[in-house]
Amino acid sequence: MTRDLGEFCARFVAPLLGGGTVHVTAPVRPADFRAMSGELATLRTSEVAALRLQRAQQLVAEPDLHDPGAEELALWVALYNLLVLDHPDRGRVWARQATWRRVESAARYWLLFSRPEGFSAALANHAAVGAFLELSRRDQILSGAEGELRFVGQEIPRRRLRWTVPGALSVREETLNWWSAAHVAEVSALQQDVLWASPVTCLLRPLSAPPGYSPLEGAGFLRHRAFARAVCHAWASSRHWIEIGGTVLGSLLFSLTGRPLSGPTPTAAGAQTAGARPMLALPAPVDSAGPEDVAALVGALIHVHFLRVLELGARLGVAPTSRDRPVQMFLALPLLLPALGEVLGSPIGGPASLGFDAQVERRWIEYIDHLGELIPRSVVENLLATLVPRVVKAET
Amino acid sequence: MPALLEPIAAGQTRFHLQGLAPDARGVACGRETLVTFPSLDRLVAFLGAYSEECSLDELIPTMTIERARREGGGHALLMRCAGADSYALDRLGRLSMAVHGQLFTGSGTVFVRYRDRMAPFGYDLAGGTATAASPEEVLVVDHDIAARYRALDRLDPVELIQRLSLRQIPLPLAGIATDPQLCGLHEIALVLVAPGLSDRILSYLWGNQVPLAGVRVALAGERRASLLLRLRQPSGQVLDVLHGIPGVELLAPVSQRAAVEIGYRHPIHLASASSCLPGDEMYLFRGRVGRVERLDGAPQFIDGAHLVRSDVAARAHDPGDARGTAVQALKVELRLRPTASIREPRGALIRWEQAGLLRRLIYLIPPMALAAARLAVLPQGMLVLTGSSLGGAAGLAAGVGAAAIIPLGMRIVEVAPGVLVPDGFELWPHVRPQLVRELLGLEAADHALFLGTDQSPLRLRPDHLAPLDAAMMSRLELAVIEASPSDSPPSGPATLLNERLGRFALWGFGEAGRAGRPAVEEASGTPELPPGRES
Repeated sequence: MTRDLGEFCARFVAPLLGGGTVHVTAPVRPADFRAMSGELATLRTSEVAALRLQRAQQLVAEPDLHDPGAEELALWVALYNLLVLDHPDRGRVWARQATWRRVESAARYWLLFSRPEGFSAALANHAAVGAFLELSRRDQILSGAEGELRFVGQEIPRRRLRWTVPGALSVREETLNWWSAAHVAEVSALQQDVLWASPVTCLLRPLSAPPGYSPLEGAGFLRHRAFARAVCHAWASSRHWIEIGGTVLGSLLFSLTGRPLSGPTPTAAGAQTAGARPMLALPAPVDSAGPEDVAALVGALIHVHFLRVLELGARLGVAPTSRDRPVQMFLALPLLLPALGEVLGSPIGGPASLGFDAQVERRWIEYIDHLGELIPRSVVENLLATLVPRVVKAET
Repeated sequence: MPALLEPIAAGQTRFHLQGLAPDARGVACGRETLVTFPSLDRLVAFLGAYSEECSLDELIPTMTIERARREGGGHALLMRCAGADSYALDRLGRLSMAVHGQLFTGSGTVFVRYRDRMAPFGYDLAGGTATAASPEEVLVVDHDIAARYRALDRLDPVELIQRLSLRQIPLPLAGIATDPQLCGLHEIALVLVAPGLSDRILSYLWGNQVPLAGVRVALAGERRASLLLRLRQPSGQVLDVLHGIPGVELLAPVSQRAAVEIGYRHPIHLASASSCLPGDEMYLFRGRVGRVERLDGAPQFIDGAHLVRSDVAARAHDPGDARGTAVQALKVELRLRPTASIREPRGALIRWEQAGLLRRLIYLIPPMALAAARLAVLPQGMLVLTGSSLGGAAGLAAGVGAAAIIPLGMRIVEVAPGVLVPDGFELWPHVRPQLVRELLGLEAADHALFLGTDQSPLRLRPDHLAPLDAAMMSRLELAVIEASPSDSPPSGPATLLNERLGRFALWGFGEAGRAGRPAVEEASGTPELPPGRES
């Protein structure tokens, strides 16, 4: 790979953010990274700056993005090297295994280095990581009498097809999502670090969040009204909105109480998925999150219920199909409104109505009554004992 | 009183009455059948009903009808015919019972009652019943009575049928044309025309192009031959006309050799009684005069063209060529003359001195009217057209009529499509509007403008008429802004392409200590915490 930042952006960053073909060859060395860091000022007016702005505008209308800095460049370089680690031609490279481990550790360092400080950096990281999660790979498969040969993200070399009998070989293509495809063990472990580098992405996609993730990581961002609206609509528009709510609330309660609600602990699960190698850096519980963050998160989850009610489908869709404790707790959240209403307010705005008509109000009341028949009383009482004091205490 | 008849048992083969024999079903049938009717009208009713149901041709060859007197008082009509199987006798019994007749079977001079519900196989004479009868008598034996009839005279069935008077049936009040079947005349109509009317009727039908054929027939008792016409598929109107003429009778064919006047019906269904009309004669049943006309043989119709007499002797010829005689004397001039008639204004001719006013007026014209208006620049001024009958051909809307909002100059009106004259004038003489265009030699989208009585008209071609808004508007200079290609939204997910990895792709990673911080970390083996948590 070249040390030129412009070429790096043209071959990797710009296609990643704007859609196109991402070219992967040799990894970016730390020396190249240092060289490119000195050229960051040139990115202010480049195409990459516009593309990351457009990516962020898909989430919030007026994103307050800072200029690309070393942390964001580190994220880009780490993502690129992650693709190199998964390159099918690794065996051709004359290098020892220890050298490949240096590439992996450099990528992990850069991912740790790129952890965002504020909402602006988190949004910029989400622009890259969100696009990285959508990255697709086109494989070409050569089929013949002897079997199949898969060319991962590569064209079939012409020498393979040169001296063949016509009709003996057939070629087909498969397009698959790179993130969910099978990877080598190093890449699978680094995928968790990629998600840790983008709390906004984890908040938007809680089902694919890394083990041990706490929604309180990005709960502070929910104070931005536009972002909170985007998150709520992202959750509510999903077909698995109940599972998403259950996952978020389960992770929240695990962060607050330190006790898993059901099943294996997220840490243990993370250790299993990370492969045989131990995790090099375990994320610590979030201590800095205050009661306001908890209230914002709970308010967002309750608002998801209201958005589903507005779509007319929630009452029929909610059924006691799951005995999962976090899911039941998520469904019980609207029942806590009498206790949380003074702090969080009501979705329909109280006496001074926000403009919703009587029909919406009636449907919301019917929905809460339906949930009251559906959810066991013990679940509500458990939440009143564990969650409500952490929210109400915030205001009192 | 002992019973005169006894029921026949099933399988019985021997009977007291001679001539009785079981048929295939075991029902006893005699060689002859006798039906007694109380009066002649019942007999006619029976024949009519029978002819509707089946053919009288089976019955008539063996049928005899006698008027008889019963011993002890009373008359009856006896109809005798040959015996048949029980199916035919059942039908005769059903029809005769409907007209109050009675059916008997037997042979010679003795007849017994035909079977009924009490004796499904029929009746036989009871033992000891006296059956002595003279040859002139007929002995009819019922359950409890034996009646003797003595024939007085014999009626010929064919003659009886031919002598029957027709029955009148109603015709449609609104005329024959209202009947879908045209009273049975929709295919062929026979018209019997009195001798004095034949020529006029033929002329009428020939003039109406009715397909016809005819023959002169001599009716009994008439000196001159009448005309019998055959019309194929006549129209209802023609039939109505013919039906209303005295001396003209319309007859509907009911069989090959019989026709009945419309409005009447024969009591017998003649189509099933061809043997009632013996020989080759044709029978015309006339209801109004109450006669049956017999024509010798089937009429040989002659085509109508040979019956009509043509008196036309004059020949049509072309008029002579008179174009060169008096052409100059007929030529007149198309002139412009004042008029008081009011026309809708189609435009305005504005003098050049008022151009400034028009320029200001442009701001007040509504968008639709402004888009439809056209401007022609003439030496006399600016012609603003806001509507034309030519419509789309000239790019002008026909009905905008917005000239009223241009209160300048001289109003222009349209006297013919695309022919414009000043308001208060018209073209004289009043020739056809399209002819005006042809006389002026205008093409499809051309306009002609008359400006005065002493000026020749102007021809305005479509390229002379510019849109008013485009003609009056000064050209605008636009600043060009180049849009950045990055303004387009992201097109979709990126695609990975793994390029060929060289042998020395990791060159530089092995130099620990020179490669920067990650190499140092690898040497120590402990990764750093995220920047935010290092403290």
